[in-house]
Amino acid sequence: MAELSGWFPVAASHDLPLRHVFQAKLFDREMAIWRADDGNVNVWENRCLHRGVRLSIGVNEGLELKCQYHGWRYANKTAGCIYIPAHPANAPARQITNRTYPAVERFGLVWTTLEKDLSFDVVWPDGDWSVLRAIPVHAGPDAVAAALCKVLGAVPRPDIHAFAYALSTLCEAPVLALLQPQDSGKTVIRCLLSGGAQMERRLAVQANATLTRFRNIVEADASLEPVESEPVFEPVASELAEPPAASPDAMTVRVERKWQVAEGITGLTVVPTTGNLPAFQPGAHIDVTLPTGVKRQYSITDGPGTWKSWTIAVKNEPNSRGGSRFIAETLRQGDLLSVSEPRNNFPLRRDAAETLLIAGGIGVTPLLAMARALAAVRSGFRLHVFARSETHVPLADQLDGLLPAVTLHLALDPAQVAQRLAEVIGPHAPGRQIYACGPGGMTQSVLAIAEELGWPEEAVHFENFNNDHVIDTSSAFAVDLARSALSIDVPAGQSLLSVLRAHGVELPSACERGACGTCRAEVIEGTPDHQDAYLSRGERASNRHIITCVSRSRTPRLVLDL
Amino acid sequence: MRLFDYEYSAECYKVRLLLSILEIDHEIVPVDVHPGRENESAEFLALNVLGEVPVLVSDELILRGANAILVWLSRRFDPEAKWLPNEPMPAAVCQGWLTIADRLAAGVGTARMTLSRGETLPDKRATSEAHRLLRAVDEHLWFAERRGDDWLVPLPHPTLAEIACFPDIALCEEAGVSRIDYPAIRRWMDRVRRIERFTLMSGIFPASPPAPRTPVNQTQTESLS
Repeated sequence: MAELSGWFPVAASHDLPLRHVFQAKLFDREMAIWRADDGNVNVWENRCLHRGVRLSIGVNEGLELKCQYHGWRYANKTAGCIYIPAHPANAPARQITNRTYPAVERFGLVWTTLEKDLSFDVVWPDGDWSVLRAIPVHAGPDAVAAALCKVLGAVPRPDIHAFAYALSTLCEAPVLALLQPQDSGKTVIRCLLSGGAQMERRLAVQANATLTRFRNIVEADASLEPVESEPVFEPVASELAEPPAASPDAMTVRVERKWQVAEGITGLTVVPTTGNLPAFQPGAHIDVTLPTGVKRQYSITDGPGTWKSWTIAVKNEPNSRGGSRFIAETLRQGDLLSVSEPRNNFPLRRDAAETLLIAGGIGVTPLLAMARALAAVRSGFRLHVFARSETHVPLADQLDGLLPAVTLHLALDPAQVAQRLAEVIGPHAPGRQIYACGPGGMTQSVLAIAEELGWPEEAVHFENFNNDHVIDTSSAFAVDLARSALSIDVPAGQSLLSVLRAHGVELPSACERGACGTCRAEVIEGTPDHQDAYLSRGERASNRHIITCVSRSRTPRLVLDL
Repeated sequence: MRLFDYEYSAECYKVRLLLSILEIDHEIVPVDVHPGRENESAEFLALNVLGEVPVLVSDELILRGANAILVWLSRRFDPEAKWLPNEPMPAAVCQGWLTIADRLAAGVGTARMTLSRGETLPDKRATSEAHRLLRAVDEHLWFAERRGDDWLVPLPHPTLAEIACFPDIALCEEAGVSRIDYPAIRRWMDRVRRIERFTLMSGIFPASPPAPRTPVNQTQTESLS
């Protein structure tokens, strides 16, 4: 049907209790509308990007909406897909984002528009108004508008809205009616009664009865059977059909708060300078580009569905290469930072019966986000934090919110740490998963102890901040790039990644010291000389991947899928 | 106690719901109504000459039809008489909803079974009648919400009215009857599905768990005046 520009009401505020998904339609577009636990109202296209199932039958989990069909999860506000159960160990591509419509909640109604960048411009008469029961009528908006004037003596109020009418015949108090065109055959009448919270039940019953009679008159000619028109869906965004860009888009954020979150650890809360922050998955990090040009990776610590700010924590390394020292000493509140979109090399499975989160010191940051995501869906988890002392526990106040699932292990020597790890890890059982993050030595201990206790490698996940290996760059080898049809020589003293870039082959990278896994490439032929701390033992043995920033070749020639 | 049951039947689902909610020990005897037509077998006709499920066989008696079974199970296994109230007003109102439930079953319920067998509906009477009933139920529930009532019968807890009305309402979209225009019904469906020991059937999806008392991430609340 012909669309009108402007904002239209699509729900009443009282239609959106917490943990409910409301179904609406405007100009043939079906919408799933849900209020998150933080109060935010989401107006989304009513289909899951996966199989097109209506999200209005989905599950409102408070800060995420889960599709009923295959469990794809979308984040509050951004509608970014943050989890795909069929790929529990993989992070969904950032581009998978549901279509959202603008949402404004005013005068007891939820409003949206099909237009982009249209500011909310409905001017409302003074006074308190309360929202009556909406009445859907099986007739087009023009027919309903004409009948309102003819049958009920309505007076158009174009000064308020193109489809606003003043009504004095509905009940003993004045009423404002707004029309919501669903499609060419159906219109919802949304009435507001002057008098606000004092809305008398008697008036509400009167108005409802008058409107019901009115509806029967309008529908008398037409069949009651709805003229079911097929909902219109926007074509899927072209970027979803294309491979992801090589490097994530940078954006600018402002430091809203900087404070000491533990001894030697600085906390930063950053907010976007425009719009909202994109969706992220638990375990994700952002690259922060510092004025010195260095890029550093910091994990987002926030819970699911956070879109207004991110909190990261930075350990001040005494022998800092310029990253942490700058943040600790130079950066001020109000300063701007260039950050990447969130990337996730440490994805969290959501299908575990019990998740064991093991943190060493600053390694608690990605695990805090995971703990919050698991707590939000009441999934069983324990968070064990190892630290030198209580004052060395980062973001301790935020850990309090997760009690009693958090256990602190303080002031232990390496032998005691190993013993305690063996106790908390315990025997493996189906459905148990470990996520460990901390200094290289500690994650190595977790891996070794878990293996001793019979844990399969795929149940133990880890993220390193550092690569403790001393990088040996003395070898020289050749690489063939299968897709680029290039053959390149990598001389001693230069990294594979830098040589690739010198030949115009773009690969994303982050830490460039073999810890984060961002610059991973697929190996088709040849045996890599693994020098990274990212790949697991099994992944190394399979020789199917190489971390290009530090690893080299044991064979004279490597063939890469680049 | 044995329930002669057809998984896909909304009438049988009513009984399965109450058996589960009241935690009554029972055995399910599957009757292959379609395509097996076991309900027309001599064996089954001996239990119910109408050849219809559900049939409940206990040591004490044999009961046929959902309403009869629901009433007996409530009186027999719910000593507090919550599901089938004793007081005159709620008892009468509850019976009123059992009547509405029967009309939904005869109309949209039958239409759903017809379509599920791959047949077409003779006319639109069943779906039109469903919309007429759903409008009335939605209106009732909207005003109930305004009074602070969550349930069809004005009591602080659900009754047989919910058990009897929920299945055909929750399955009506399988008969092509959309619930988009009945938001108060959609909210009531969330509440019904959160009843303790509520059980699912094919076509009925779980509701999200209720919000915790203290919402998380309060700091995020945007002022939406």
